[in-house]
Amino acid sequence: MTNEVIAAIATPPGRGGIGVVRISGPRLEAMLRALVNHKVAPRRATRADVFNADGGVIDQGLVLYFPAPHSYTGEDVIELQGHGGPVVLQLLLKRCLELGARVAEPGEFTKRAFLNDKLDLAQAESVADLIDASTAEAARCALRSLQGEFSRRIDAMVQALIELRMLVEATLDFPEEDVEFLEQAKAHVRLEHIRSQLTQILVASHQGSLLREGIHAVIAGEPNVGKSSLMNCLAGEDLAIVTDIPGTTRDAIRQTINVHGVPLHIIDTAGLREPRDPVEKIGISKTWGAIAQADLVLWVSDATRPVTMTADPALAASLPAGVPQLKVVNKIDLAGIRPQRRTLPEGDEVAVSAKTGAGIDLLQTAMLEAVGWGGSNGGVFMARERHLHALQTAAQHLELAVTRANALEVFAEELRLAQNALAGITGAFTADDLLGEIFSHFCIGK
Amino acid sequence: MHFAEKFDVIVVGGGHAGTEAALACARIGRRTLLLTHNVETLGQMSCNPSIGGIGKGHLVKEVDALGGAMAAATDEAGIQFRILNSRKGPAVRATRAQADRLLYKKAIRSRLENQPNLLIIQQSVDDLVVAGERVAGVVTQLGLRFAAAAVVLTTGTFLSGLIHVGLQNYRAGRAGDPPSISLAQRLRELKLPVGRLKTGTPPRIDGRSIDFSRLAEQPGDDPVPVFSFLGAPDQHPRQLPCWITHTNERTHEIIRSGLDRSPLFTGVIEGIGPRYCPSIEDKITRFADKTAHQIFLEPEGLTVSEFYPNGISTSLPYDIQFALVRSIKGLERAHITRPGYAIEYDYFDPRGLKSSLETKAIQGLFFAGQINGTTGYEEAAAQGLLAGINAARFVAGEPGWCPRRNEAYLGVLVDDLITRGVSEPYRMFTSRAEYRLSLREDNADMRLTEVGRRLGVVEDGRWQHFERKREAVAREIERLKSSWINPKLIAQHEVQRVLGQGIEREYTLQDLLRRPGVSYAGLMTLPGAGPAVADPLVTEQVEIQCKYQGYIERQQDEITRQEAYETTRLPADLDYRRVHGLSIEVQQKLNQHRPETLGQAARVSGITPAAISLLLVHLKRGFGGAKKTA
Repeated sequence: MTNEVIAAIATPPGRGGIGVVRISGPRLEAMLRALVNHKVAPRRATRADVFNADGGVIDQGLVLYFPAPHSYTGEDVIELQGHGGPVVLQLLLKRCLELGARVAEPGEFTKRAFLNDKLDLAQAESVADLIDASTAEAARCALRSLQGEFSRRIDAMVQALIELRMLVEATLDFPEEDVEFLEQAKAHVRLEHIRSQLTQILVASHQGSLLREGIHAVIAGEPNVGKSSLMNCLAGEDLAIVTDIPGTTRDAIRQTINVHGVPLHIIDTAGLREPRDPVEKIGISKTWGAIAQADLVLWVSDATRPVTMTADPALAASLPAGVPQLKVVNKIDLAGIRPQRRTLPEGDEVAVSAKTGAGIDLLQTAMLEAVGWGGSNGGVFMARERHLHALQTAAQHLELAVTRANALEVFAEELRLAQNALAGITGAFTADDLLGEIFSHFCIGK
Repeated sequence: MHFAEKFDVIVVGGGHAGTEAALACARIGRRTLLLTHNVETLGQMSCNPSIGGIGKGHLVKEVDALGGAMAAATDEAGIQFRILNSRKGPAVRATRAQADRLLYKKAIRSRLENQPNLLIIQQSVDDLVVAGERVAGVVTQLGLRFAAAAVVLTTGTFLSGLIHVGLQNYRAGRAGDPPSISLAQRLRELKLPVGRLKTGTPPRIDGRSIDFSRLAEQPGDDPVPVFSFLGAPDQHPRQLPCWITHTNERTHEIIRSGLDRSPLFTGVIEGIGPRYCPSIEDKITRFADKTAHQIFLEPEGLTVSEFYPNGISTSLPYDIQFALVRSIKGLERAHITRPGYAIEYDYFDPRGLKSSLETKAIQGLFFAGQINGTTGYEEAAAQGLLAGINAARFVAGEPGWCPRRNEAYLGVLVDDLITRGVSEPYRMFTSRAEYRLSLREDNADMRLTEVGRRLGVVEDGRWQHFERKREAVAREIERLKSSWINPKLIAQHEVQRVLGQGIEREYTLQDLLRRPGVSYAGLMTLPGAGPAVADPLVTEQVEIQCKYQGYIERQQDEITRQEAYETTRLPADLDYRRVHGLSIEVQQKLNQHRPETLGQAARVSGITPAAISLLLVHLKRGFGGAKKTA
């Protein structure tokens, strides 16, 4: 039906001994040779190193190659079985995308299997259900992955791209008008501006490298609700001074721990108050810097005390817009409450005891899910991978556009392809939409 | 009475769509009847006296590549030729010509009268004969009944045409011609989805009353371009310039003073007009801060004195037209020979058509031109040609043919119409074509003449001419691919001169030609690079193919990816309510518009990729059996 190569992480996310990246498409032999150094016999597990573009080893694991038609999808299929951590799996997937694959749509492997007569007719109904359900799930995930700042910046960038395209297309289609579209418009400046916006999105959104660089989580709350204990509990070792005297924690402390294979950098805000000496002042200003880049906030309260907590306005103002938030109710051992996780409109609430460790596993899962990694199918993560791939493709076309600015029709082609790449995020933008923009901005026509 | 002779195909209408349809049908060998309400207006240019332009010129070249008449007639009638975008890339260059109206009509009529298998009768058509779900012929105003297996309707602006000048209006098909009222009523009875569109035209001016000394002259190009692939500059009559002037603040004040009597602004006109060709009253209202609008004064012909002021189309009352024209520089003493007007007319939602332009509702009934919601001579001619080809094929029991979006602007035009419908008169622009770099004027013959030959519309002379060109291009590209330039065997200053820099290793001539700034002619001055090909049409093709090669290949990949969708047919009787998982909205849309292929379905607005997946699964399950055409 298609000659596109698709790839996805096939194992559920989270802690696991192995993780699988599956690739399907026509004629995958070349990709296989680029991925591994070994000769891989069909349908045999082969131990091999998987290489990245510059020859470094990403992972060592098992490689399976199923030539068409004897495979799950009926096309050539490669399975890379690597170490289970999400970071490694993400790098493997990224490598496949570099080699020309695109991120599979939800249910796409099964769809291809069905279309290639690999599933029997009785299963057809379930394939339709799967596509239906996956689509709805993907839409929810895409929405979640696009919340807040990320989405706002993409919108602004796409708007700028549409404006530039409008001017370029008007120049090409309406040469007899007495409007000098591009001369007025400074296409180069506009293109550079769009490119820098896109670069900023790719760099500053940090979403793509989230798993590799780790999650920056802020722990906030009233004094003596047990923030430091919680941190220690998550870290599994004593690292902050824990006493019953409020304000004991003197410095902002950053500690990196590993949760289900994802590095988690925890920033304790306990020491955020008027500095008493220069040393403290330095520590506090560093903490503020860390807060401004947080990926996640944990608001900790004490189950034995009425919740009077309102967000510290200074802290709330420093957080990145739209950052995911979790409420953590600590000390349930003293209050006699069972560990649990509840979904509330403003974010999930998890009841734990840092002292006994009850509910900490729930909290860890909730934290990973809140930043987009986790859930039953890693949907949000895959949605974001698709978006990033789209943004990177768009960036490549814009880069090519720079080199072809003297051939306007080719320049226009690169801009069109850049916008096409973004269609999965922003929705399709048709030629008619573009003409509509032109006619609403310029008096065209004799 | 029954007309004794039976025809294969009847074409109703003698405009740009009708004449191309009739000619194509007859070229294929079908017994064809052209019915027109007036033989004197065959090939009439009802609006501006020009052919071509960006996107439109592309269509004209495609019509020519398929053996059509428009380009050749323009070569015989053109009194000014220009290449627009000549300083931009070849994909967006387009030919535009001013035509002498009388010479153009003459050129078209002589082709019609010399076409074997084609009969012309002057009769207005009042009724269609429909037997069951199949068309069987037409009835004219005298009650003559003509029988045919296929009918092509090209009614232009005539269906329930209503002309507006100020708040006055009257029924007409065009200024000076009667409308088609009974046919319009009949079509409405057939429950085809009908709508109203509007277009307009400016007042015409007597050239003897224009002060040209105050105007900017716009000459044609030198050397003079030609339109047809078989054309030559010596076919052209004497050439004339156009003239440019502008509206001013005073003009705009006059227009504003008449808006209370504008049919457009008082709501008298219901039809939707095009956004890209607005009336002057629309322009000054929507773009109030613009203090002047450009006007091209285009000569109507060599033997008449009328000029067409392109840019001031209007339906304002006559007194306002008179004052506004005289407020314009150079037109202070201008005499208006014919007032401008707006015209409203019926069109039918083109989503009711197959890609062959046959209506889905009535077998053998084909629509082409403004009846499908388009505007422009070129758009009409292209559809007429296609409808003519397909009517001929229908009669012979052959499947319909339509070029794909990646093969022709004609394909883009038809696909846009049948998948997206129209919300205003549809005009071609190059930005509508996603494969713009492949769909160029210069290669229209390379894209279409071979298939045209198979379809039977390309005659021997054109075919031989094309084969020679194609072979010469292929041979030269092969030579460039296999000729190497070795830095050790060539003087470095020669390389410097031609390429602007030295070379460090061997390159083929093709590699070197692909470099920006290197032309074929320049490259051929390199020692050892010749012998150069002399035919400019061949060298142009060679050069462009090399320059665009990377982009064309990339587009080819995209086309290959889409191929399966374009060839997977959706059964005409598919009940979309039975497709598991489709939303109600999608079901309704698909049940209503019934796309012919998955590719078409994907382009219907609101149809998601997931819906296409669900359709695929449904077809695979054996409902209606997904048969492939290719």
